[in-house]
Amino acid sequence: MSMFSDIPVDVGIVYEGERIRWPDTYAEFGGPRVEYKFELVKARGMNEVEDGKITIIGPDLNDLEKKSYPFGIYVEVAGKEIEEELEGVIERRIHEYINYIEGVMHLNQRYDIWIRISKRSFDKGLNSFTYIGKVLYRLFKSELPIIEKIQITFITDPEKVKEKFKEAMETYEKRDARARGLTDEEADAFYGCTLCQSFAPTHVCVITPQRYSNCGAISWFDGRAAARVDPKGPIFRINKGECTDPVKGEWTDVDEAVKLKSGGEIKRVWLYTAFGYPHTSCGCFEAVAFYIPEVDGFGIVHRGFTENTPIGISFSTIADSTAGGRQVDGFHGISIEYMRSPKFLQADGGWERVVWVPQAVIERVKDFIPKHLADKIATENEVKNIEELKQFLIARSHPIIKRWEAAKAEIIEKPPEEERVEVTATPPATMPTTEITVPTITGVTGGFKIVLKNVKIHAKEIKIVRSKEK
Amino acid sequence: MGEEKNLRIKIGELKSDIGLLRNLEISIGKLIGEEWAEEAGPTVFPSITDLREWDLKILQRYKPFYMPFCDVCCLCTFGKCDLTADKRGACGLNMAGQQSRIVLLACCIGAATHISHARHLVNHLIEKFGRDHSINVGGLNVEVEAPVTRLVCGVKPKTLGDLEDVLNYVERELTRLLSATHTGQEESNIDFESKVLHAGMIDHVGMEVADIAQVSVLGFPKADPEAPLAEIGFGVADITKPVILVIGHNVPSAAEIINYLMENGLYGGVEVTGLCCTAHEITRYNPRAKIVGPISWQLRFIRSGIPDVIVVDEQCIRADTLVEAQKIKAPVIATSDVNCLGLPDRTKDDVDKIVHDLVSGASPGALILDPAKVGEVAVKTTLLAAPKRMKFKAIPDTSGIIEDAKRCRKCNECRRACPNDLPIPEALAEASNGNLESLANLYEECIGCARCESACPVGLQIHSFIVKAAEKKVKEEKYKIRVGRGAIQDVEIREVGGPIVLGEIPGVVAFVGCANYPKGGKEVAEMAMEFARRRYIVVSSGCAAMSIAMYKDEEGKSPYEIFSGRFDAGGLVNVGSCVANSHIAGAAIKIASIFAKRRLRGNYEEIADYILNRVGAAGVAWGAMSQKAAAIASGFWRLGVPVIVGPHGLKYRRMLLGRKDKPEDWYVYDARTGDKVYVGPAPEHLFYGAETKEEAMVMIAKLCMRPNDTTKGRAMKLTHYIDLSKRLFGVIPDDVHLFVRTLADVPITMRDEIIKILEGKGWKENIIPDPTLLPRLVRKRGG
Repeated sequence: MSMFSDIPVDVGIVYEGERIRWPDTYAEFGGPRVEYKFELVKARGMNEVEDGKITIIGPDLNDLEKKSYPFGIYVEVAGKEIEEELEGVIERRIHEYINYIEGVMHLNQRYDIWIRISKRSFDKGLNSFTYIGKVLYRLFKSELPIIEKIQITFITDPEKVKEKFKEAMETYEKRDARARGLTDEEADAFYGCTLCQSFAPTHVCVITPQRYSNCGAISWFDGRAAARVDPKGPIFRINKGECTDPVKGEWTDVDEAVKLKSGGEIKRVWLYTAFGYPHTSCGCFEAVAFYIPEVDGFGIVHRGFTENTPIGISFSTIADSTAGGRQVDGFHGISIEYMRSPKFLQADGGWERVVWVPQAVIERVKDFIPKHLADKIATENEVKNIEELKQFLIARSHPIIKRWEAAKAEIIEKPPEEERVEVTATPPATMPTTEITVPTITGVTGGFKIVLKNVKIHAKEIKIVRSKEK
Repeated sequence: MGEEKNLRIKIGELKSDIGLLRNLEISIGKLIGEEWAEEAGPTVFPSITDLREWDLKILQRYKPFYMPFCDVCCLCTFGKCDLTADKRGACGLNMAGQQSRIVLLACCIGAATHISHARHLVNHLIEKFGRDHSINVGGLNVEVEAPVTRLVCGVKPKTLGDLEDVLNYVERELTRLLSATHTGQEESNIDFESKVLHAGMIDHVGMEVADIAQVSVLGFPKADPEAPLAEIGFGVADITKPVILVIGHNVPSAAEIINYLMENGLYGGVEVTGLCCTAHEITRYNPRAKIVGPISWQLRFIRSGIPDVIVVDEQCIRADTLVEAQKIKAPVIATSDVNCLGLPDRTKDDVDKIVHDLVSGASPGALILDPAKVGEVAVKTTLLAAPKRMKFKAIPDTSGIIEDAKRCRKCNECRRACPNDLPIPEALAEASNGNLESLANLYEECIGCARCESACPVGLQIHSFIVKAAEKKVKEEKYKIRVGRGAIQDVEIREVGGPIVLGEIPGVVAFVGCANYPKGGKEVAEMAMEFARRRYIVVSSGCAAMSIAMYKDEEGKSPYEIFSGRFDAGGLVNVGSCVANSHIAGAAIKIASIFAKRRLRGNYEEIADYILNRVGAAGVAWGAMSQKAAAIASGFWRLGVPVIVGPHGLKYRRMLLGRKDKPEDWYVYDARTGDKVYVGPAPEHLFYGAETKEEAMVMIAKLCMRPNDTTKGRAMKLTHYIDLSKRLFGVIPDDVHLFVRTLADVPITMRDEIIKILEGKGWKENIIPDPTLLPRLVRKRGG
């Protein structure tokens, strides 16, 4: 028997993303035409929730006409593992679950929700919020077993919506403040994610309150909820262990977890730096921080940037040099959200080390760039190459130039690089590849003699590779 | 990749400070000075047997299932030999061997077609633009410019000239493969099948060479998701203007027609229309050009009298083009040495002389092997011929049809000849009573082959009757198609990585191939839209891409107007012509380099293993007809991408079917531990023929499952598989338990039902491995 046989319309993931146009709409709740709308999840004590109770305050679907209505969905949950920190994660499921209902469209979240019920589904019998409540109830209980009790209230009475709206706004604000304030030091644990291992088998993401997943899709709160709901799943708790380097961001148990989950490929991870043992990148990171040796600073380039960076290569090329679950010195796949974190490249100097960022990224994170750097970071509008970048940084007195001055004193003259020619003979495929290094003839000063007679050398191909000085 | 070839040094005697050399002879096949740091894999420029081990692995799991289309072999004079009931022929070959041999032959023909097309194109473009013209398929957004070539050949082409080395290789391989089909060459059907896969692989290289050459040089859209919309359909040509019709696949002559029109300020006054892939190419060259439709539109469009000049190049051009063109008094210009139509070679003749002969009707056509000359002759001829022809057509009027239909003897030969068994006699009977409705209704399912006409003992022009009866529909055929965009950007692939692992994108479905549909092209459009609405990434090419365009929703929008052209959830991506199919394989290949940083260079086996186990993609060639389609499909199989064909595809003689009832076939190595892990039949088949659209759709959803799926991904894929099956057949598929590895795989809205099924089947939880079929990829555990 289906879970939803008593619901008059179909319920399935295939309805996600279904759009309902105004002409096909029976009634609309929230959306741009009404001021007061919200959905809210509150964590309650076990005795405060009556499991399965669905309440409708104000007129039900049946009593409505084609109009936009103020609307609230107020969900209260209880359970031993339920805590306030998980409210936001549970709340976002409302969007997902309501969208599974045939002929119901749900957009956005929190104070911005926009719901439409289609005429066709109403005609099929979807004429009460009770049905929507039942669907929510069953999906929440089945998907999030940590919810032991849940009661759901739909509010259409405009006065009541307005009243609860205030409470919702206060809750969101409180929640955000707490999320922003939570530091990696305070957190009792971190979370790891291996979802990307299906394509990048050695990549492990370490998600902390101050370091989002590379893809930008999973916060520490999401990780916490997911690990509780499915402890055997791809998102798991990582105990922190001992912090061995608070600046670079290394914890003993993080190293252990990453080693285990990467099959031994990755042995150490420093969370707040692009050098040494940087966090690995799969392929779907939102942006890359790349080291520019000429200015000793970082450029950042995101997926949407379609021009060349000042180092003469594009996002694709830079991304290509860091993807695949490897640790690549100076190339660091990151999320946009991480740029808003105080831990952002902490060990490398943070924003003070950043010299070039596309304008579109600046727009998204400008509130998190230290004030004194506001006009000192170059974008594609001012700078197209390294030379221009240097000039820009000097002209704007970017703090990076202090590093140049400090570095000057340390420069030791290196001997000029010698070029070496290596001849690699590729024999037929069945033979092992042999490598013959021919010494530069002019450089040999005697001591031995080579005599070759009647020699026939046939090389199917000879590759001449300019090798870098080892 | 600058290089020297065949370097020879002979030294009689050389004395120096360090030693003595006598009679030293050094010959160097190839000297490569290169800057590509990527280490080469084990199979650079692989020979026929280099990947045989991989082939045997996949053929062991996906065993060939033969369906002889013909029971005898008549290839040599020993025969013909009856091969039924385990009999062997005079040469000793049995039925399985013979069937696989014919498949190989077909794939060689297909590959030869693309490769020679590529060679012609590259030669022509080098002649015109120089050997050093650089390869550029997508500017900064494409890092891997030639994924198939890198993977197979281990080279990174930078210029047009570099492509010649690649072509040398594929031509050599093709000759070897073709030689294996000679009498007394190969006895094992499995070895024939391995060679089929090799043919498919080099076919993809040939296609890639052709497309990246033309994209780089001719100003086609470069991996552009917002490539412009062009017009498509029978009704799009402005028939008040002189109309040039180009048919075929190889663009140089058609491009020169457009060049000539532009250079002489004539484009506003002449319509350039195309059929088949040349039509794709002219719209990529200039989106003002118009597409009439796929191959099945050839006969009907010619007979309509609309084209004033017909220019044919190569491939999939009807072999009665000249005959049909003469019926409407339209001159034909042949432009390819592989399709001369028996016409006199006028390549070196004076343009005006040729034009005069064509316009006056002194000669019905001309062979001109110089594209620039074709451009000039075609335009001049059109301008002069159009006013004389007055769109003279070869389609009877309504009263003529009614009268003719009365001559029908009701012998049923037409219906017997019809590949789709259309009820023609009944429609003729109604027509003889003055009602043309049933005839008109045949139009949508008619593939335009006109076998009915050839079969008719009284010579009724049945195909023309159908077209005339459906005249209203035909004239309203006006749609929009997104011009072939070429490659998929690396950045687009990066962007879908997250949604795929998070289960938001259930798979990639490619609708490709010809127009030999069982029930008209509408089914392809419906399937493509269904999967785009389900947020799959939908890709299209060739005739299938055109058929998808020829559909309108209630608002009058074509699918390409409804869905975005991005390689993304719910996108509908037209890559372009047949040769652009290589970009679909290319996208699958790039996934491995982008997400796992697997080396592509000469590393075929590892990447195919990656794709088979991880990339949830399936191809659908609903109207596959040609040998080229056979070769393209084989290239996908070797790469680990399953292909579904429509009912006519069964005539390719064999399928590659997995056996889900044999658990032992579905074990992989877990690269983390080296343990063998049962992963269920994912993907279940490599080559599958579906009888109906409904069957195909359920199979598409099923074949997108892969052993590496995350639980969210698998839950989403199962949702679509089950939902489609329930909707189309009213049942939950009987094998869902084979695709549930852990309870987290179960789609959340179906939890109760599925768990009940699992209990009934004695299901046990399994782990999700890091899957591979190659023991060498098992990781040595780091310290």
